[in-house]
Amino acid sequence: MKRDKPFTTGRVAASKGMAFSKSPVLAVRLPDWRSRVMLFVLFAAFAALGVRALWLQGMSTQFLQKQGKSRYERTLELPATRGKIMDRNGEVLASSLPVRAVWAIPEDVLQSPPEKITELARLLEMPESDLRKKLDSDRTFVYLKRQVEMDVVAQIEKLKIGGIDTRKEYKRYYPQGEVMTHVVGFTNVEDVGQEGMELAQQKSLVGATGSRRVIKDRLGRIVEDLGLSREPHDGKDLVLSVDSKLQYIAYNSVKNAVEKFNAQAGGAVVLDVQTGEVLAMANYPSYNPNDRRHLTGAQLRNRVITDTFEPGSTIKPVTVALGLETKRITPNTVFDTSPGRMVVTGKTIRDTHNYGVRTVGGIIQKSSNIGVVKISQLIPPQEMWEMYTKLGYGQAPRFGFPGPTAGRVRPWKSWRPIEYANMAFGHGLSVSLLQMARSYMIFARNGDIIPLSFVKVNEKPVGQQVISPQTAAQVRTMLESVVGPEGTASKAQVPGYRVGGKTGTAEKIVNGRYSRTDNIGYFVGIAPMSKPRFIIAVMVDNPRGALRTGGSVAAPTAADLAANALRAANVPPDSSVTDIIIPDEPLEESL
Amino acid sequence: MSNKLNAVLAVGLIACGLTLVNARYQSRHLFIELERLQQQSRQLDIDWSQLQLDQSTLGKNERIEQIARTQLNMTPLTPARTQYLTEGVR
Repeated sequence: MKRDKPFTTGRVAASKGMAFSKSPVLAVRLPDWRSRVMLFVLFAAFAALGVRALWLQGMSTQFLQKQGKSRYERTLELPATRGKIMDRNGEVLASSLPVRAVWAIPEDVLQSPPEKITELARLLEMPESDLRKKLDSDRTFVYLKRQVEMDVVAQIEKLKIGGIDTRKEYKRYYPQGEVMTHVVGFTNVEDVGQEGMELAQQKSLVGATGSRRVIKDRLGRIVEDLGLSREPHDGKDLVLSVDSKLQYIAYNSVKNAVEKFNAQAGGAVVLDVQTGEVLAMANYPSYNPNDRRHLTGAQLRNRVITDTFEPGSTIKPVTVALGLETKRITPNTVFDTSPGRMVVTGKTIRDTHNYGVRTVGGIIQKSSNIGVVKISQLIPPQEMWEMYTKLGYGQAPRFGFPGPTAGRVRPWKSWRPIEYANMAFGHGLSVSLLQMARSYMIFARNGDIIPLSFVKVNEKPVGQQVISPQTAAQVRTMLESVVGPEGTASKAQVPGYRVGGKTGTAEKIVNGRYSRTDNIGYFVGIAPMSKPRFIIAVMVDNPRGALRTGGSVAAPTAADLAANALRAANVPPDSSVTDIIIPDEPLEESL
Repeated sequence: MSNKLNAVLAVGLIACGLTLVNARYQSRHLFIELERLQQQSRQLDIDWSQLQLDQSTLGKNERIEQIARTQLNMTPLTPARTQYLTEGVR
């Protein structure tokens, strides 16, 4: 080392001298293995990364891709709307609208200020104590109220209460209310049909919910459709055979009759003669399907199809028709009904009056029990039973409506002579009003009977011939004479129209015995007679007033119904008689 | 020669990529529009149902009869005071 300037600084000395790092004093000799270890560790780390990459890419790809997708893909439920129900003219009878179910997480809701909860209770139309009771729960999910309408929901959302949320659902509305409810029925809160056509056509009305997968962006907008997983199918709309105008007329007639005659209940049905469609089916008491809180069984009961009664005198034309058809009698055959009493195997059959000697037409007009019993004695029971079966008595009707009753007709082999005699005038068998109305098809049409339908019929129905057109015409003439000043249904006359029909009165069976006090009055009619269009059947159950027979309670109700129905349907009048004559003491049929 | 080709291909590739981006962008836009319109159609369906219901409620026979009788003082028609005209008859 050379020192030429002893006072110079170390830096200068260093720059002039040997480099710092090369100083042998400072030189550290590292062992070779350390670098090798380092190299190995680095390579091992890379290898680990490689293996990890392989693992992710190769072995668990599917799992990871699924996880990834679930972070941006969403499955949307596509709800299906329940089909509408419409009447034959396209008027809506039942329709679903979206509403919300309001639910809550109780713990979160209870943290909000009490005045907000008071306000919430007011909006939900429930007492605050009830609301608090619902919120006082350990559960994390509580329905506060279901089927809340959208405008109320908007107000609730404006309150901004934490822990309150809504879920989409549908509410069924029935604009025609109590008038139509026995035909249409109703659904429960889960959109499942409970009564009437809602129940009968549940499958086709309900539709199927669908779903689709989509990609949503940050703002929740759908940016890409990944295709439908399941296509939603809305429920099919249902067009009924019912005419809401006629239904209203029928309902009003029944309602007025029940109130006027102080009856327990009433029912009416209007059938289209040409197509077999049920144009109206009304019951009273009824209920409002939009508010079913105070629903009773009596209101729910569809008496027209579920109640059976003994057809009484209304079956007499059937007995006579079979006699005429089998040529055992003619319309002019005479029978002696005097003295108004008759004994069959020890039991006495009575008429209300002694009608003396009558033709077959006279027997129907006066509704003579003895007359029809004498006619029935010419006909073997088996033929009568076959006739009943062809007319659908004793068989559950199949017309796609829930709960029809079959009625009761015992096998003919078990009929004793007195029972057969009773059956000729409608005792000892039971039918529903709808079955009775349908069986009059053979008179209103030219002897054939067609199936009934609650759904609009577009093609001509195929009928089954029961009696000849000639017999049908003969019975029609007799039925028209019943609705005349001389007949038992003089109160069924309709001004301007020719109508025909038959009254009936049955004693109700209470505790297995005929009741002396409770009875049902009914009437089955055809209008207008020149070209039958409607079959109208009316029953008045247990009238408590002074008037109690079919001729005095059901016949005027049917006349009222027919007059309005014919006018509403624009049927031209076929009679110039506009002032009807009702005798002071109308003839009453025998029970 | 091959350099030139590479350059052309590269430019083509970039152009292709850009159009893809654009197409994608357009498709999303259109899709959002479609979605909006479908939503609108659903809303219109609901409105239509609501209006049908309103029509049925307001056109209830009961209500019409009530108004006709009380507000308009109308009475039901009877054949006694109706003149029927038959087509084709002089």
